[in-house]
Amino acid sequence: MRPISRSRPIVSFQAVSRAYGSRFAVEDIHLTLQSGELAFLVGPSGAGKTTLLKLINREIRPSSGHIWVDGIAAHEVKASRVADIRRRVGVVFQDYKLLPRLTAIENVAFGLQVSDLRVSDQDARSRSLDALEAVGMGDRARAYPHQLSGGQQQRVAVARAVVAEPAVLIADEPTGNLDQDTAWELMDLFEDIAAWGTAVLVATHNIEIVTRLKRRVLTLVHGRLVRDQPAGQTGGMAWLASS
Amino acid sequence: MAGVVVKARLARRRTLQVVAANLFRYLVQGAARNWIRNLGGTAPALGSTTLLLLMSGLFAVVGFGLYNLERVEASQASLLHVYIRDDAAGSDILDLETRLERDPRVASVTYVTKAQALLRAQGIPGLPELADSTESNPFPASLDVQVKSIDDVAAIDASIRYDLAVDPTYSTSYDKGAYQRIQNVLFGVAVAGFAFFTVLGFVAVSVTANSIKSAIHARRDEITIMQLVGAPRWMVRGPFVVEGAITGAAAGLIAGLLTFGLTTAGINSASTTSSQLAPGVTVSVAAVAALLVFLAGLALGSGSSLISLRRHLES
Repeated sequence: MRPISRSRPIVSFQAVSRAYGSRFAVEDIHLTLQSGELAFLVGPSGAGKTTLLKLINREIRPSSGHIWVDGIAAHEVKASRVADIRRRVGVVFQDYKLLPRLTAIENVAFGLQVSDLRVSDQDARSRSLDALEAVGMGDRARAYPHQLSGGQQQRVAVARAVVAEPAVLIADEPTGNLDQDTAWELMDLFEDIAAWGTAVLVATHNIEIVTRLKRRVLTLVHGRLVRDQPAGQTGGMAWLASS
Repeated sequence: MAGVVVKARLARRRTLQVVAANLFRYLVQGAARNWIRNLGGTAPALGSTTLLLLMSGLFAVVGFGLYNLERVEASQASLLHVYIRDDAAGSDILDLETRLERDPRVASVTYVTKAQALLRAQGIPGLPELADSTESNPFPASLDVQVKSIDDVAAIDASIRYDLAVDPTYSTSYDKGAYQRIQNVLFGVAVAGFAFFTVLGFVAVSVTANSIKSAIHARRDEITIMQLVGAPRWMVRGPFVVEGAITGAAAGLIAGLLTFGLTTAGINSASTTSSQLAPGVTVSVAAVAALLVFLAGLALGSGSSLISLRRHLES
């Protein structure tokens, strides 16, 4: 895994807005994520969390503003060069998105090899096994997704997201399908990944995790970043309880 | 230093081998596996494309025969037989021959005697009986005038029709509408064929594109993962293009073999008439037509996939 390096900006939003017709999904966002930083993205449903994550991964273009991802100008990158950004961004979904016909290690290796054809089978297997061991799934490497619990599948998905050592990991409601104990295990894993030097941004509704971990919290409401609470502080999340 | 260069070369070669192996696995093997798995969904596309290609192949062979026939007819139509009256004076014949030879529109003039005309007639089906039914030779001597352009035949015919040496009853072989009729028939066949194949081609492309569309939907998760882990766009699209190419190639292979088989069977079963009805159509032509059908299938399948990908697979 990537050694801990000196903190540097990995994701930078400058006055970013994204509109669908006349409605803004996110509006005038200013934001910087440093390497090795774990931050939570919170807000009520429809606040624009998923839109913001999609902007980082260049699934969508901003209507205005500038986005930089690990030194690449995501706001102006051509469609043919989008893969350059995506190789720098690991993605974890709520529904894992593992391929059912492949084993855990094959799922991880698949992501590695299709993004970089120069990776040999031997190298892919070795790196995939390392990644699975790092997420505590080394002993289930040959299991198929249907043979794994939800939490285990999510760990494999995390291994796939980090195996190529991305600069930033984004996770959209990764604990949505997990029980609380498993969710905590996943959060421990995200903390480890951040400690390796990767910037981690987790969109979540899980109030308990957000309040207890005391990490940086970005609050979106109606597409606007209304609060950027630094790590170590608590409070100001009463709305989460009712959302 | 030399050791470093050799190691660098070996490393580059090793990388190339790895890239080739991965390309083959993800593009070709993956596409072939999915094609076999999705054969039920591909069957309509395979059937319609095979039908289109088979008809195209047979139409091409027939078209080639008709084209050659048209060339033969055009060549014959530009050969004007000027029939000489039996009692024509030698000087009149010579004058006419000289006049024709000096005409810049004429390529050549050949004098055919009555005896040569009889000999020629004996090689044409039906005419030997006519020749044998009379004691005298009924076929006139003629000047065979090869005109350079078929468009000038009428003018030359008009200029010599009332010459002293020319038979006033059957002056020449010129038939005003014969060549035009052949051209009209060929034009009609070409228009009908074009319209038919446009419709059938549209159906084949649509059905193949739809089968690729359903393959895209069936593998939505795999595509999403490939896109999000940073697989290049061609890597995401490649397997579907290969799948389409496999469909097209399979259809092309079946249609090509059928084209070859039906054409050679046609040549063998009517060896005498086929050379007259479809001149130039040989086993070699059948083989070339089969190869072209196969290549057309390959192109059609790949092209249909690309159309479908552009429509249904966002970047």
